[in-house]
Amino acid sequence: MKVSVNWLRELLDGLAATDSEIAARLTAAGLEVEGETRLGAGLSGVIVAEVRETRRHPKADKLTLVDVFDGHEVTQVVCGAPNVPAPGGKVVWARPGATLPNGITLAPKEVRGVLSPGMLCAEDELGLGASHEGILILDSDAAPGADAAALLGLPDTILELNVTPNRPDCLGHLGVARELTALFPGARLRPLSADLEPWLSEGPVTELATVTLEDAEGCPRYTARVLLGVKVGQSPLPVRLRLQSLGVRAINDVVDATNLGLLETGHPLHAFDLDRLAGHAIVVRRARPGEPITTLDGQERALTGDDLAICDAERPVAIAGVMGGRHSEVGPATTRILLESAHFAGPRIRRTARRLGLHSEASQRFERGTDPNDGVTLSSLRCARRIALSTGARIARGAIDRYPHPIDPRAIVLRPDRTERLLGTPVSPSEQARILTSLGLTCEGDEGPLRCLVPTFRPDLTREIDLIEEVARVHGYDRVPATLPRATGVGGAPDPAAEAADSARDALWALGLAETLSFAFIAPERIAALGFTDGRSDPLLLQNPLREEQSALRTSLLPGLLAALQHNLSRGVADVALFEIGTTFRRRPRAPQAVSGASCSEGGFAAEDARTCEGKGEPLPDERQMVAGVLSGRRGGWLKPGAELDFSDVKGVVEGLLDRCRIPGTTFRAATSDEAPFFHPGLRAALTVESNGDTALGVLGELHPALRERLGIALPAFAFELDLAPFSTAAPTVMGPLARFPGSSRDSSFFVDAAIPAAAIQAAIVRASLLVESVHIREDYREPGRVPPGKKGLLWSIHYRAPDRTLTDDEVNADHARVMDALKAEFQVDTR
Amino acid sequence: MPQAPEPEKLDVVALVDTAERELAAAATEQALREVHARYGGREGAIKRAVQAAINAAPKDRKREVGQVGNAALQRIEGAFEARLRSLGDEARTRDLARTVDVTLPGRSHRPGHLHPITHARRAIERIFAQLGFTLATGPQVETDFHNFEALAMPPDHPARDMQDTFYLANSDLLLRTHTSPVQIRTMLAQRPPVRVICPGTVYRRDDDPTHSPMFHQVEGLLVDEQVTFADLKGVLLHFARAFFGPATTVRLRPSFFPFTEPSAEFDLSCVFCAGAGCRTCKNTGWIEVGGAGMVDPEVFRHVDYDSERYTGFAFGFGIDRMAMLKYRISDIRLLYEGDHRLLEQFP
Ligand SMILES: [Zn+2]
Repeated sequence: MKVSVNWLRELLDGLAATDSEIAARLTAAGLEVEGETRLGAGLSGVIVAEVRETRRHPKADKLTLVDVFDGHEVTQVVCGAPNVPAPGGKVVWARPGATLPNGITLAPKEVRGVLSPGMLCAEDELGLGASHEGILILDSDAAPGADAAALLGLPDTILELNVTPNRPDCLGHLGVARELTALFPGARLRPLSADLEPWLSEGPVTELATVTLEDAEGCPRYTARVLLGVKVGQSPLPVRLRLQSLGVRAINDVVDATNLGLLETGHPLHAFDLDRLAGHAIVVRRARPGEPITTLDGQERALTGDDLAICDAERPVAIAGVMGGRHSEVGPATTRILLESAHFAGPRIRRTARRLGLHSEASQRFERGTDPNDGVTLSSLRCARRIALSTGARIARGAIDRYPHPIDPRAIVLRPDRTERLLGTPVSPSEQARILTSLGLTCEGDEGPLRCLVPTFRPDLTREIDLIEEVARVHGYDRVPATLPRATGVGGAPDPAAEAADSARDALWALGLAETLSFAFIAPERIAALGFTDGRSDPLLLQNPLREEQSALRTSLLPGLLAALQHNLSRGVADVALFEIGTTFRRRPRAPQAVSGASCSEGGFAAEDARTCEGKGEPLPDERQMVAGVLSGRRGGWLKPGAELDFSDVKGVVEGLLDRCRIPGTTFRAATSDEAPFFHPGLRAALTVESNGDTALGVLGELHPALRERLGIALPAFAFELDLAPFSTAAPTVMGPLARFPGSSRDSSFFVDAAIPAAAIQAAIVRASLLVESVHIREDYREPGRVPPGKKGLLWSIHYRAPDRTLTDDEVNADHARVMDALKAEFQVDTR
Repeated sequence: MPQAPEPEKLDVVALVDTAERELAAAATEQALREVHARYGGREGAIKRAVQAAINAAPKDRKREVGQVGNAALQRIEGAFEARLRSLGDEARTRDLARTVDVTLPGRSHRPGHLHPITHARRAIERIFAQLGFTLATGPQVETDFHNFEALAMPPDHPARDMQDTFYLANSDLLLRTHTSPVQIRTMLAQRPPVRVICPGTVYRRDDDPTHSPMFHQVEGLLVDEQVTFADLKGVLLHFARAFFGPATTVRLRPSFFPFTEPSAEFDLSCVFCAGAGCRTCKNTGWIEVGGAGMVDPEVFRHVDYDSERYTGFAFGFGIDRMAMLKYRISDIRLLYEGDHRLLEQFP
């Protein structure tokens, strides 16, 4: 909210502080000043001048020679503005010696051959705003020779306050001024005049209008005053300028008065044209479903039964607390006004404003909570007075006041020692009482607890802790020391899943991949492109995505990684090795209503509190931490030109990851189309881990050429995605025996049917041998000419060792022969 | 009458000359050893020639011929040793003459790169671990209860406007707007003392150069007897200095969060201008990084903690923002593009 420091000063006595000090203290007390605009700073020597006569400049069509009168004499000034008023009009004259906010001191200056002693000023030249459409025209009652800066309320500082939602009282100057009385001891609020006597008319208000309050829950209090003989006109220039500097458009003096009232007390007001209200009646009730109203902005809107409507005898004339209706709008023809000042229930106003997307100055304040007592009455009195002052209206006696259940100030007990214990610093009880009193509370009690009465303009203060906060922030957070908490007990349990994720991160880092992060919401078609055949094809959708391409919760990390791959390729980065560790989301089946509470706690994270699920039947999704990677381009290095990556690279990465994370019992096998439809059919593997039967851990492979083509990825790309859950149950590391006796190696080379997996042969070697320590494959070659058709050549290196003795050559040869016999028998290997 | 040289003696001398020439000419140790094996030693040509000469010599001269032969063998051994030494010296000289252009890149066996957010998160976790905070995590799709209601934000509470929320279609579930639900889950699951930090991914319906709809946050929670606002200040100050350097200062400004009271905005002295004022800090010398405060008794009520016995503080800030400040990253969107050129700048 914007506040004028001049206005604050008008509301206060005894405030001896500069504008900057005021801004700094407000920020330090929680009313953050986000911007400071100085209006008319440095302005001096500008006066009101009356236009006496105007002539065209002899040498320039667009210049005017203006005779201006300063109360003593008439002087000719050259003016370039198109809007010089007729004789009698009042303008602002910066005479030689005057200083403008832009730093210029005026001197007599020749303009196209005519000497001009100073200039007539536009708004921007006065530091009032950006407007340079013409010179500023003053009200006709301005006295020639008077100080124009004072007349225009300059200089002033406009503070842009970030008012937190708990402080509706600070959405008006009065509340901010009250805050200053707490922050600057010595400053006191001036009493605001609410005397209507000079303008009161004969008849009582009850003869002119009626108010029926049907919905006291939505509207705890409704008051109305009536003003008669209104002549709607323009507000005086200083009022218009003040509204403008506070970001409010001046409309007419009646509407401007309600806006000034809102800016002063923070309490919204609304003026109806009484003669446009059917039956001169106000009925406050729930709207009927579908009931239409055309609001001030010209939009026709349909109301619902939850909306609170201000109606006349026939139809809604305003959406309570949100926006008035066009039909009863105050306009030039208005002569009688019904002035509404009411207290509406915040949540109702909030729901209506949200539903209609109509967030007005009024709704913003009612939502946060207005003052049902002084706020309602004082702002009504002040506004009626203002309208009477500026329009010459008379005010009907009394007000209609519907307030069936008055809301009393709240009593709260504050234990001053509790404040000190919570803050960790001493604040004397008398200082605590002083702070609360200056904020408008009444406090009783010397020793021990303070009995405090909270005025109704502070709906945010309902508990002792709220008062402690008031004391703390006014006392000053900067006066609280910095200490370290004493250590007791253990703060929480270790998180194996987080640790496993970090181990995986380190492993992939060591394997040369770069970590990336992508959004958890992606385009549904990016998921569809992978052709999943399980639940992953049906992602959870957002109700209110920012855009369509961020509307589905990812069921796999691969779409995001492929997007990152595309991003890099499009920027000329051809060698890509990325990994991501992140959460994927899968639907859980909706549980039957009867057991919905239980379903919430099943698997993953538990929704411990039954309140969260009952009656909704919506289980939390299955959130899975996954690790995935994508590789494309060439192997690193410059000494030998990098070879293109192949399947073994991605498999090597996955093996490295498994080694680092010590997951035992993993098995690779060729993957099926259902498991990895997005991979090349001959170049894909599934990884399983033994735990209560085989569990799928993930897949790896070369990207399917068709998918690659669709994504515009030219070179082969390889990817993997694994479930991280098994990583957090990694096998403990235990030292094994170190061999004490030398072993012996035998190499074995043979042809075998190309379809037999290496793992099967390795397993057969281990089975057949009594002495084998390790088996390594050294070569797999298939070039035609080197091998018979349908065969492949394999070279194995087998190491034999005994734990308790040095093996003899004869022993090793015998065992190796056993191995070869077994391979011949099982796989018909050909050792020629 | 001059004595004619014995033919056998001539043979040996010529052989020795040849052997000496060949030994001196051997260019490698291997060649040298081959020459040596050919002429010297028990099986060599010289030994054989000497033996043949002895055999052929008259009895009275056998001794003399033998002596000549031994002298020849000794000469060969000497020549061999000398050449071996000189070859070794040459090899050492050659070895020491090798040079390399140390400015060429090394052979690539390099590790990859961790994301700047990972670097920042780990640094944050380490600092708080030293203060005894353990890690807590929770789901990203949350219930209204954990994300709002238990944090003293009932439906229609104005504070809900402060965090624009993504909702799941056809459901009451939402993407968590902060990691505070993890605090709630932690407090529902254990009794005080609680001392946890909750790093994680959060979502807000915001999208501009300084806000990303997905970002990372870390929140801390400490609940115990006698926890004070001064302790909160001390912990944040310790963190800021450990993370950004010992000259960093912290400012707490009163603010409003429904789940803490008193509440504070948490500002750091500007890391770019050290408080002097610059564009990043809008000339204030301070950078707003997070929120903090004492846990509101209303939150304790929801998790059934006795707010008369226990007090606590909570704080939260963006990991992305910390990473951007620490590593001078200009645009938050760069963090989520997977651009190798950015990632490669981080170890
Ligand atoms: Zn700065």
